[in-house]
Amino acid sequence: MALSRRDFLKASAAAAALAAATGGRLGATDVHAAEGGIRWGKAPCRFCGTGCGVLVGVKDGRIVATKGDPAAPVNKGLNCIKGYFLSKVLYGKDRLTKPLIRKGNKMVEASWDEAMDLIASKFRESIAKHGPDSVAMFGSGQWTVFEGYAAAKLFKAGIGTNNIEPNARFCMASAVTGFMTTFNSDEPMGCYDDLDLGDTYFLWGANMAECHPVLFSRLIDNRLKNPKVKIIDFGTRFTRTSQMADKYIRFNPQTDLALLNAIAHIIVRDRLYDENFIRKHVVFKKGKTNIGYGLEDKFKFADDPKPMTFDEYREFLKPYTPEYVSKLSGVPAKTIEEVARLYADKSRKVNSLWTMGFNQHVRGTWVNNLVYNVHLLTGKICKPGENPMSLTGQPSACGTAREVGTFTHRLPADMVVMNEEHRKKAAEIWGVPAEKIPAKPTYHATEMFRALDRGDIKVLWVQVTNPFQSAPNLSRYRKGARKGGDRFIIVSDIYPTRSTELADVVLPSASWVEKEGFFGNAERRGQQWFKMVEPPGEARNDLWQTMELARRLGHGNLFPYKYVEKEMFEEYRKFTLGQGKDLAPYEAYTKARGLRWPVVNGKETLWRYAEGYDPYVKAGEGVKFYKNKPNDYKAVIWARPYEPAAEAPDRQYPFWLCTGRVLEQWHTGTMTGRVPELKRAYGGAVCEIHPEDAKRLKVKHGDKVRVTSRRGSIVLTADLRGRGKAEKGNVFVAFFDENKMINELCIDAYCPISGEPDYKKCAVKLEKA
Amino acid sequence: MSGAEEETKRVSRRHFLKGSLALPLALTVAGGLLTVPSLRRADARGFYLRPPGALAEKCFLGACIRCGKCVQACPYRAIRLAETDAGVAIGTPFIIAREEPCQLCTDLPCIKSCPSGALDKGVTEVEKVRMGTAVIIDRENCLSIRGLRCEVCYRNCPLIDRAITIEPRHNPRTGVHTIMEPVVHRDKCVGCGICEKSCVREQPVIVVQRTPLPQQDAYEF
Amino acid sequence: MNFRRWTIIRRLVQVGVLCLIASPLAGFSFFQGSLAAGELLGIPLADPLAALQVVLASGVVASAFLLSALGVTLFYWLLGGRFFCGWVCPVYLLTELGDKLRLLIPAGKLEIPLKTKGWMLLAVACITALSGVPFFEIVSPIGMTTRAIAFDGRSALLCLAGLLLVEVTLARRLWCRSLCPLGGFYALVGRVAPLRLRFQPARCSSCGDCSRVCPVAEVLVPSLDHGTEQIRSGDCTRCGRCVDCCPEGALTYCFGYSDQGGPR
Repeated sequence: MALSRRDFLKASAAAAALAAATGGRLGATDVHAAEGGIRWGKAPCRFCGTGCGVLVGVKDGRIVATKGDPAAPVNKGLNCIKGYFLSKVLYGKDRLTKPLIRKGNKMVEASWDEAMDLIASKFRESIAKHGPDSVAMFGSGQWTVFEGYAAAKLFKAGIGTNNIEPNARFCMASAVTGFMTTFNSDEPMGCYDDLDLGDTYFLWGANMAECHPVLFSRLIDNRLKNPKVKIIDFGTRFTRTSQMADKYIRFNPQTDLALLNAIAHIIVRDRLYDENFIRKHVVFKKGKTNIGYGLEDKFKFADDPKPMTFDEYREFLKPYTPEYVSKLSGVPAKTIEEVARLYADKSRKVNSLWTMGFNQHVRGTWVNNLVYNVHLLTGKICKPGENPMSLTGQPSACGTAREVGTFTHRLPADMVVMNEEHRKKAAEIWGVPAEKIPAKPTYHATEMFRALDRGDIKVLWVQVTNPFQSAPNLSRYRKGARKGGDRFIIVSDIYPTRSTELADVVLPSASWVEKEGFFGNAERRGQQWFKMVEPPGEARNDLWQTMELARRLGHGNLFPYKYVEKEMFEEYRKFTLGQGKDLAPYEAYTKARGLRWPVVNGKETLWRYAEGYDPYVKAGEGVKFYKNKPNDYKAVIWARPYEPAAEAPDRQYPFWLCTGRVLEQWHTGTMTGRVPELKRAYGGAVCEIHPEDAKRLKVKHGDKVRVTSRRGSIVLTADLRGRGKAEKGNVFVAFFDENKMINELCIDAYCPISGEPDYKKCAVKLEKA
Repeated sequence: MSGAEEETKRVSRRHFLKGSLALPLALTVAGGLLTVPSLRRADARGFYLRPPGALAEKCFLGACIRCGKCVQACPYRAIRLAETDAGVAIGTPFIIAREEPCQLCTDLPCIKSCPSGALDKGVTEVEKVRMGTAVIIDRENCLSIRGLRCEVCYRNCPLIDRAITIEPRHNPRTGVHTIMEPVVHRDKCVGCGICEKSCVREQPVIVVQRTPLPQQDAYEF
Repeated sequence: MNFRRWTIIRRLVQVGVLCLIASPLAGFSFFQGSLAAGELLGIPLADPLAALQVVLASGVVASAFLLSALGVTLFYWLLGGRFFCGWVCPVYLLTELGDKLRLLIPAGKLEIPLKTKGWMLLAVACITALSGVPFFEIVSPIGMTTRAIAFDGRSALLCLAGLLLVEVTLARRLWCRSLCPLGGFYALVGRVAPLRLRFQPARCSSCGDCSRVCPVAEVLVPSLDHGTEQIRSGDCTRCGRCVDCCPEGALTYCFGYSDQGGPR
């Protein structure tokens, strides 16, 4: 039989490649000599964007142990409780090991050839009938760089559609557009060393204690050593971070926009700014206002930036007096004054850290801009221990989604499809005609699921993510996925999920160290690992799956590699060189515990745009935003006003609903949910309610409450004593629980600039159930 | 009364004395001698995590009539009845925290259900419950004390920041991290056992134990 | 044999009690607890002997508990004291089964006087007061049975099997006739109880059927031998088997005390 012969050949080729790839080199990177027959290899942790290094112990083809890598600069041998259980994550009882094809209501086991032939035929059919924009890929910030790169290359340069999006659109997109609009280059200037070196840390909408546990441990240690250190937590919910912070400042949801403008107002009013820095490094701009919420299908927005002067900016800030903003935000005017002074304090190194409170925001881009404004006004940026820093939630949201550019509008290394030169450069590296890459971005994630619901997208392939649990306004998109017609959904995953249950074909994937990989963490650190164990059963690498589809669609020539990962990386690396995003040769990553780009002459960069650290900044320049050519190499201070949320509590739906994460469970819980210990530690989602609200509703701790929004309804256990304390008029629910999918209630309003939905604010009502 | 009747009566009295009194008396004395000393040590048996409001163990063993009403009142099925292996505690309610701890219902239905006063009706607030005290019995195996970011017991504690707090200290092993050590405060811990249940280690390193008695000495701290 | 009206009703009541004890398992909530203490439709019920033991053992005085125990005592006083044994107690049902089994296998004939129960009651009170634990609640087969029904009590079932074995091989109805302190307590109550069995000597054909079926045949002696009009002994369980089996209708239930006066 042809297929078994081919399989055999492939398998032996793979074996040979593996031998070539790892035989010698795995030995070279083996940190510890085999002890007790266990071979240890290095890898970054599979979970969040912190990028902790771990050592993986393999014996008899199975992961038998993991430990924090003492040589890893990020975590120096420590892990959080999720990382502690890494060895169990791959070995849940219900691992998918065979391709499954839907036959009516049943999923039937099939061979890879059957499955891939079916997928290829659906792609061909759909492209022939409805054009290339009728097929789409929804990927992930958990994709390895190779997987993301292969998918982007296949879709943009092979199939000829920009229908590719990562789930990072749901979590990082506003940070990206924030960086792009302010600095014209994605990703932070600072790094984790700032956690050790700074004096003041403002946390905005970030529950670092639970969501970046190891980094938080580092931050607290800085305070233990240095009594000067102050941690100020801005939030709408009292978290474990608030508990350990020096000050917790509660504000009304959405008023972060006004608060940051008030801080800027005070800094400008009292001339606390760094005039020299502003003159040399900053321009002022304003964009459109009243920009909408993207609630209608096919919503389009294009900003219209206009330059302004410092005086005009001063005028813009006038209304944001501490008194006015105090009324709006619920933060005392005196506190706002103090915070502004703390931000401007010349004797202190000031940092801002934020996560989803900023990014999952209908004005996510704006609020990112606004925090940069404060740092740019005070000149507290691009210095060791003094930076704004956006933390990420996925292991390679930066490395894959953002740097490789697996968004509809992006190309690798800060390039975009709208730019002809960028398209040309990409086409050249990819060896395709420039016309092949479409110039128009199509759908961002939310719009992609809307297009699937409408039927504009017929074939959707989901890799390494679980959108039918994680998308907002979930009911619509879940229903849309099963509307039938020509719709055909492929989901690659390692376990059955709420997404695989909607799929027409389910492909069993390899995960983490079952394949060679490369992740990029939140501090620009690229980390490589080798394959250490075989995936179970017939499970296969997503990279192989993508390339297999390419081959069957006649785009096999896009992937002419022998040692796929290495050669692909070297090809990708060409995009980055000379762009201020330089990656090191692959070889270097196999040895190092990660390197922070730009890596020039083998030297990593700790602080971007900073003389003495960033090789692109010449001596004497001090700070240079060298990527922002359109703005004369200056950063932009944006006049962004306060605008209300898409949906605010009213008589009918009187509570704010905020969603988020807990330390023990990660994202949609597909991996952590397979670890019994973690399940025992935090088993199911609960609804955090303020005791006074609960009293009014006659709800006690442990009672069932029905939480209802305009989009969905769910019954949860009321939690009045939990680790998180909801503020009055607010409730909080974690989104990991596949049996209690809170995202059914979330509104699919998004930031018009970034396209990132607001999972943190919508209106709900509560009833005792 | 006829002679025959007299005779019957005498016989029956003799019968009574011989059969009816001697045997039970002997039984009582023998049984009492055997049982009383062992029963008196009843509370010296191992620690049973009793439901909220339980009187001191010795008193509880006397006041509990083994009716099982608290078991039926517990919405989480956390309370179970001791079996024959429990000796004199047979039929008394207890909790195996590792399997299903007390969830500290706000209205304490178990206490309300107790007819005999073995669970003290004076305990009406969960903060006043004293079932035992959580103790980290194995510091070597506590992940938090080893510097990992675990603290699962702390975050699950229904009296978080009161019964268990985090005491951060510098981690000399890495030089840049914090050891976030969970510390149990005996005066606040109610002994519900949620920490014991949630501990991620195979053998829980934090367990609920009998609250140690206050010790009196002629020394003022 | 005539229609065994009382036996059938009694069986229904006995099974009904078992169902009541087991009902929480099926998710019903009209009854909670056991025979030691329970709650039926919101009315607290308490075993008077259990209440006595709690007071003796721990000194804990829960007034509501003692009141309900008093109520229960009054209830059984009205119905004849050991009515509890004959109609309610699941162990009685078990020893009745033992009685049946005795017909099948060679059975021991040891006899221990009925009054031993009373001494057992005293013994329980003493041990309880001395030891500080409600001694009878620990060893009671009644508690074990009800717990085995309402909760998971597999090891208790073993004890009950042992009891059954003793009953069959050593002595007929040993536990219920002679040893059970709770029976002893209700025997005391039953002496002065108004619900009794009436004997009409005129109708009696001295066939002896009643003595054969009665678990405590001693109580019939004064009537059968001397024509006493009421069964006055507190040991009578008011089970009504004699009523059912008497071919002449010489035995019936009655309420109130006869001319020959109160107790004995």
